[in-house]
Amino acid sequence: MSTRLDDATAVPGANLIDPTVLARIGNLELLARTVVDGFINGLHRAPHLGSSTDFAEHRQYMPGDDIRRIDWRLYARTDKYFVKQYEADTNTNFSVVLDVSKSMRYGASADTGRVSKLEYGAYLAACLTYFSSVQRDRVGLVTVEREVVDYVPSSAKHLRVVLQALDRALREGREASATDGKKGVAAAPTLAPPLRKLSEIYRRRSMIVLISDLYEEPDAIVDAVNNLRGRGNDIMVFHLLDPTELEFPFADSSNFIDLETGEKMPVIPEYLRTQYREVVREHVASLGKVLRDQRIDYALFDTSRPLDGALFAYLATRERLRQVR
Amino acid sequence: MNFLSPAFLAGLGALAIPVIIHLINREKRVVVQFPSLMFLHKIPYRSIRRQKIRHLLLLLLRCLALLLFVAAFARPWFERSKHTGAGSSGAREVVILVDRSYSMGYGDRWSKALAKAREVVGAISANDRATIVFFANEPAAATEPTADRTRLENALKTATLSSEATRYAPAIKLASDIVGGSNLPRKDIVLISDFQKAGWAKREELALPPGVELHPMDVSAKPGADAAVIGVVTDRTRDTSRERIIVTARVANLGAGPRTIDAVLDLGGRSLESRRITLAANSAERVRFTPVAIPATATRGVVRITKDSLAADDQFFFTVAPDEAVSVLVIEPSSARANQSLYLRTALSIGDKPRFKVDVRTPESVAAVDLDRRALIIFNEASPPGGAIGARIREMIATGSGLVVVPGEQDVGRWPVEWRSLLPATVGPVVDRTRDAGATIGAVDYANPVFEIFSAPRSGDFSSARVFRYRRLKVSGDSGIIAKFDDGSPAMVQRSVGSGRVVVWATSMDASWTDLPVQTVFVPLVHQIGRRVGRYADARQWYNAGNVLDLTRHAELTSPLIGAGPKAAGDSGRLILESPSGEKTRLSALGTNHLATLRERGLYELRGENTPIGAGRPIAVNVDPAEADLTHLDPQELVAAASAGTATRQTIDATMVPPEQQEGRQTVWWYLLLGALFLMAIETVMSNRLSRATS
Repeated sequence: MSTRLDDATAVPGANLIDPTVLARIGNLELLARTVVDGFINGLHRAPHLGSSTDFAEHRQYMPGDDIRRIDWRLYARTDKYFVKQYEADTNTNFSVVLDVSKSMRYGASADTGRVSKLEYGAYLAACLTYFSSVQRDRVGLVTVEREVVDYVPSSAKHLRVVLQALDRALREGREASATDGKKGVAAAPTLAPPLRKLSEIYRRRSMIVLISDLYEEPDAIVDAVNNLRGRGNDIMVFHLLDPTELEFPFADSSNFIDLETGEKMPVIPEYLRTQYREVVREHVASLGKVLRDQRIDYALFDTSRPLDGALFAYLATRERLRQVR
Repeated sequence: MNFLSPAFLAGLGALAIPVIIHLINREKRVVVQFPSLMFLHKIPYRSIRRQKIRHLLLLLLRCLALLLFVAAFARPWFERSKHTGAGSSGAREVVILVDRSYSMGYGDRWSKALAKAREVVGAISANDRATIVFFANEPAAATEPTADRTRLENALKTATLSSEATRYAPAIKLASDIVGGSNLPRKDIVLISDFQKAGWAKREELALPPGVELHPMDVSAKPGADAAVIGVVTDRTRDTSRERIIVTARVANLGAGPRTIDAVLDLGGRSLESRRITLAANSAERVRFTPVAIPATATRGVVRITKDSLAADDQFFFTVAPDEAVSVLVIEPSSARANQSLYLRTALSIGDKPRFKVDVRTPESVAAVDLDRRALIIFNEASPPGGAIGARIREMIATGSGLVVVPGEQDVGRWPVEWRSLLPATVGPVVDRTRDAGATIGAVDYANPVFEIFSAPRSGDFSSARVFRYRRLKVSGDSGIIAKFDDGSPAMVQRSVGSGRVVVWATSMDASWTDLPVQTVFVPLVHQIGRRVGRYADARQWYNAGNVLDLTRHAELTSPLIGAGPKAAGDSGRLILESPSGEKTRLSALGTNHLATLRERGLYELRGENTPIGAGRPIAVNVDPAEADLTHLDPQELVAAASAGTATRQTIDATMVPPEQQEGRQTVWWYLLLGALFLMAIETVMSNRLSRATS
């Protein structure tokens, strides 16, 4: 199943949400609800509104509704009973921090139909944002590279804004890919500066999903992510890697160019394939360990796997973790 | 190692392909944009080197397998006989070929050759056997195969130079036969020579048996400079008083620089004239001496030039003899037609090479003196003389003279039986072809010496002659038909009687029965009959050393000695040939002992048993002028030709195994193919392991 949707969809950003994916994720309601408060709260139930003071909308009175919630002023004007609905207190801020660095643009292949890590991350962010929006969470988005590139504050009405921001990030990423490799050598970007800045932006407790390929040492990543934990944010780290980054299947002797720094290295892949896989495995294992030690959820996503499969695997992992805790 | 299909070795070029691909791949790397080189930086370099070495081993395996594949297709085989012979150790069979041609007399070549031969003899061990063979034009073994060094050295002590030219092929052949018959494991031929190019005609086969090695020893130092008299021509001229000859010598300078030499003509032991000439480098000049009167008897002549390093060719011997015509006696009937022998006499009187001396007699008028030294007798429509004359004629025929019988109107059936038995055919009735415009000579035997000069195109047309009458001939058993009429009837029949020949000509020798005498072919035909039936041979003024003297072919030499007269050798025909060194050889002009090899340079003397010394016939013998050319031959070229000859012989000789069979028996290609497959299997296992390891 392809995770790539038709770009010609009318609603901007709507193409990022594969209906089939959503339908399959919908079957995971019972699992999702118990994973994290506010993330997929009440997925199996009809969305309900809470009794907070944040007015959401009016609804026609139905027998059985609490008559205390009838808007009598509106009744006076319309001679009809309407009930006031408010946003629930349990709703939280949900924000996706998406890495849009050059390395995230890697992996797109017209021949194999594979998507880049950036596209995959954007789809993933869109799905999660949509779920959260359905849960009446306030959704927001931050795209980061060396600094914060784009910032969408968390709001219950920002689903479409988030989707548009994701769409824009994708478009900019594709346009930038065409000119990659023509620049000089630069330092590799790190997550610490933008995440440090985000810690100053988030004033409410939030659920933050960091989607990145995490080309940094595990300790540096933990240090960067810990910037966000100060206000009790619940953080999940989604680690995206292309299958070629995991398997290193290259056959020919090649000049490898670092997309981030522009550094070149002559490599005979067959000589180092085994060692490379070992290094990657150690890196992933180390990342998982140090992040989990900090009680930060971590999941590795292979961008060749279907998106719903990745989400399912993640939610299943959250369930297991919840039971362990 | 030899290859049956060496063209496949070109496939070795394929070995370059993987290397080239490897180099190209190293130079032209694919550019891969990768998210980060962070992980690659963490891989230790040492492990990369180990992988490289394993891949290098793989590459070597593949190259070796390819090499074995190519070698297998080229079908290699080993020349086992060669390896088991020359290559192995053990006792040796050595043949020492020593060149004793007269060119070895140049400078110190001969002494150097003997010294080299002694060195080889000195290296002979007790288990070895050696044979010394001296050769020039012909090889001759001086010893039997022996390990006795004393015998070998004695043979070298008694060796002398010959006057003959060099020929390598017979010598190598003899040496090959000697070593070929040996059962010793090692077989060597040592060739000691000055290696003259003239000694080897490249068409001559130089085949060495398998396992025999040819070791050349070159005793020629620097290229030799030599002047030589390479020929003498005597032209006869006749002035008012007497016949004279003009001696012209051809002198060659075979050196790299010009030289001035004196050429002297000696005749009859007296120096007649000296000429000084200057010869350019590598050139030849003619030296023409003043005409001198021809002596009354055969006389010795010498043209000599200034002596140089090779003295043997500085003198050229020849003989001068009075012109000796072919003596022909024509016997015609007393009642002959007018001019019956006119055409015959006229035709024979034309020309002087040879000159024919013709006398015409009737049977009744023939005297004994008329028969002296007659080479040819023609019965021109005459009956044979009777009595002692007839018997004498028959004896002459038996001892080499010729008889031509033209029966004409003669009633041959009434001839005495001793005459009829001489004839090659029974003479039948007259055939009259006047009614059908005459017969033609339809077929002639061009292989017969009488007609051989007419064999070439446009060399004579017998079909234009018309024969109106001829006698029907019935050929006897041992006779041969050498010409036929168009109806198949024999026109000319011949038969050998003793040493002589008898020919019957079916028609006439004048224009009464045929118009042949007025045809252009008549004169040459009569001359040919006179030469061949009269056993004429060109008198040779000299021979080359090594030539064989056949007395039966040179009546001009023997006839003065065995004929009538006080100096005759008698009816036995016994002669003595004395060489320049005084060696006497007994010969017979009539018997079987009529051959002698003229090996010495100088003047031989052929005389009868009763002839005083010095009164015989001189025979001049010169060295072969080709030997005077000291142009050097690369010994390795000779060795290579002998080695190539080995391969050629292997394919011809049924006792040896041809290369295809040797290759088929050895099947080296099969082992190579198995080896290649084994290597490929190892390569497959290795590459799979590497592939699994890397994946």
